[in-house]
Amino acid sequence: MKIYSSLIALSAVLFASSALAWEATPGKPYEGQTVHALIVKSSQFEAHEARMAAFEDATGIDVVVDYVPFPNMKEALTAEMVGGAGDYDVVSIMDGWVSSLKNLIDPIDEGIAAQGTDLSDFPTAHLRHGYIDGKLHGLPVRGHVQLLFYRKDILDQAGVTPPSTWTEVVEAGKAVQASSELAGIALPYGKLNGQNLQVWINLLWGHGGDLFDKDGNPVFNSEAGVDATQQFIDLLLEHKIVPVGAAAYVEQDAVNSFKQGNSAMLPLWWWVRSQLTDPEESKVTDEQLGVMALPSVAGSERTTFTNTWIFGVTEGSRNRDAAIEYLGWLTDPAIERDVLLDENLKETVAVHFSNLRDPEVNARWGGIHQAAADALATAPGMSFDANWPRISEILENAISSLASGESDDVSAVLDAAAKQISGIR
Amino acid sequence: MQDRFLSYALLIPAFVIVLATTIYPLAYSFITSFREWDLTRQRRPGDFLGFDNYVHAIAEAGFQNSLWVTIIFVITSVVLTLVLAMSLALLLRRKGPLHTFTRIILILPFAMSPALIGVSYRFMFNPEFGVLAVGLGAIFPSLKGTPWLADPDLAMAILVATDVWHWTPYMTFMCLGGLASIPRETEEAARIDGASGFRIIWEIVLPQMKGVLLVTAILKTIFALKMFDQVVTLTGGGPGTSTETLAYFVFNVGFKWYDMGYASALAWILTLIMMLISAWYVRMLLSDNIKETA
Repeated sequence: MKIYSSLIALSAVLFASSALAWEATPGKPYEGQTVHALIVKSSQFEAHEARMAAFEDATGIDVVVDYVPFPNMKEALTAEMVGGAGDYDVVSIMDGWVSSLKNLIDPIDEGIAAQGTDLSDFPTAHLRHGYIDGKLHGLPVRGHVQLLFYRKDILDQAGVTPPSTWTEVVEAGKAVQASSELAGIALPYGKLNGQNLQVWINLLWGHGGDLFDKDGNPVFNSEAGVDATQQFIDLLLEHKIVPVGAAAYVEQDAVNSFKQGNSAMLPLWWWVRSQLTDPEESKVTDEQLGVMALPSVAGSERTTFTNTWIFGVTEGSRNRDAAIEYLGWLTDPAIERDVLLDENLKETVAVHFSNLRDPEVNARWGGIHQAAADALATAPGMSFDANWPRISEILENAISSLASGESDDVSAVLDAAAKQISGIR
Repeated sequence: MQDRFLSYALLIPAFVIVLATTIYPLAYSFITSFREWDLTRQRRPGDFLGFDNYVHAIAEAGFQNSLWVTIIFVITSVVLTLVLAMSLALLLRRKGPLHTFTRIILILPFAMSPALIGVSYRFMFNPEFGVLAVGLGAIFPSLKGTPWLADPDLAMAILVATDVWHWTPYMTFMCLGGLASIPRETEEAARIDGASGFRIIWEIVLPQMKGVLLVTAILKTIFALKMFDQVVTLTGGGPGTSTETLAYFVFNVGFKWYDMGYASALAWILTLIMMLISAWYVRMLLSDNIKETA
């Protein structure tokens, strides 16, 4: 086992060293140009900006970044697309929006190839969102996988081990509730940007189901889909191992419940790791917090839903080459690694295999990156077509309706949702 | 002649601003409502579809649901706000330091942003740590742990309550203004004749307040029909689609689904509803005035 681990570590180091480092185009051909970037507000991107001076010195390109809070980001991108004024050269787009904003960004295959960017260093689940009609339109800069955060002390007190299947989650949740005042697991069943679908989709895959067949027809209302949905709803209504208001919870409510010491487990994106033990906003300490891969459905492989932010160059950009140079620098694994290892920051997010498997990164973050790399190595990810916002809305309404008790016939609700999706014009 | 020219010249800036910010967008959205414009496929408006977008709306379950939700919301919210506003105005019409202080305090809810009200009430009704949820649970033990916003009926009730809480102060001030214009002599005479307080209000005050109440009702109905902010921040339209108002549905279609043609048609249906209701109110108001004049 030890030899096996050493081999993995050695191959990771070799892989990391084989990833090409970014170098500025010789002769500073874009000197004096200004790249305007429209980016969602995130501490990760602010950390990149803090390192921007090196890029500006090396290329002579000025980069001006406008940050937009997440709730307003899509509207800002839409305005940029419809206006077509070319106010911005680089934009950040979330995976689910890419298809509907495809007219905003242009292909960057050739430019990125010239930058020497190693595309094989990106997990498929993240990189696939950069492709539109087979052409590369964007590169992943921010990507998330799901992990299970849990309270070590509470699970110990309940006499249970961290659950690796959803059946064990139920047992652990009941044991926690029998031995403490905490709810078993904080899950969001309420409506906001499809947040109540993120765990459900894992159950759907775990039961052997999927959202659509290869022809794009809804199949989530199959027997596997009904079983998965019933299992998801049972956590709330049958087993009652979630907080009392979870039927209306959105993601942040679930996070708050865990941070306030009201829930023992939290299946969520890994970006939340840094705030779960922040003494200014959480009662949970580093010693109490445990992290592991998301539980699977008994007898099936582990799955993870992913979330990806790609950066692309706008169709109306007047500084296209300078913008691609900036993208080349921004997606250099060395920048990401520097942020991950910065002791003054608590940034865990990475989208390069070379960093996810980096021993030093894993040593700092307790191995969650290796767990993420393992999940991403086999996770194909999911494509979102232009109708995804509408489909997501229909599905989240269905889950919310079942969770609230408005309807209790899982099969009928899924059939109705499938019919609605099939009827999208 | 020169004065007349100057008058028109001075009106031009205002006319240009209204044209650019109101008339043009309205006309553009009206034309768009008859066209295909799916932003995910086309950057500019596409073919003319005739009344297809309107026909689609009438047949679509999402629109029908949001229309029904809006009707329930508007009726309950308008009636409750008017009753509360009129009652508060009657209580506050007397003069005195306490009444003046109360009037000043009363304006605070109206000064708050609707989105902030939604967020605040969402926290206050959180069953784990919300002050209202926990407080109600302490007073009425059977309500302890009630998932307020997870129940379709309770979520609608809370949505209505936040709106009533927000608008009642403003409507109270409108009613106070109306009450101030009613001559007190009639009431005094009725009181001397032995009429009860309720009878005075019902038979003397309210008939004279009809005009003010109608204007108040018009305004409140229009505001209620446009209900959006609190839906976004308080319920997200849920659970399911139980609090999805028409304005919220229009937003979803336009800015989440990017179907601008259909969203424009829905927006014009909402506008048409508002115009019809306003026209009905105004007709009532005018017919009342005509009767009084006659």
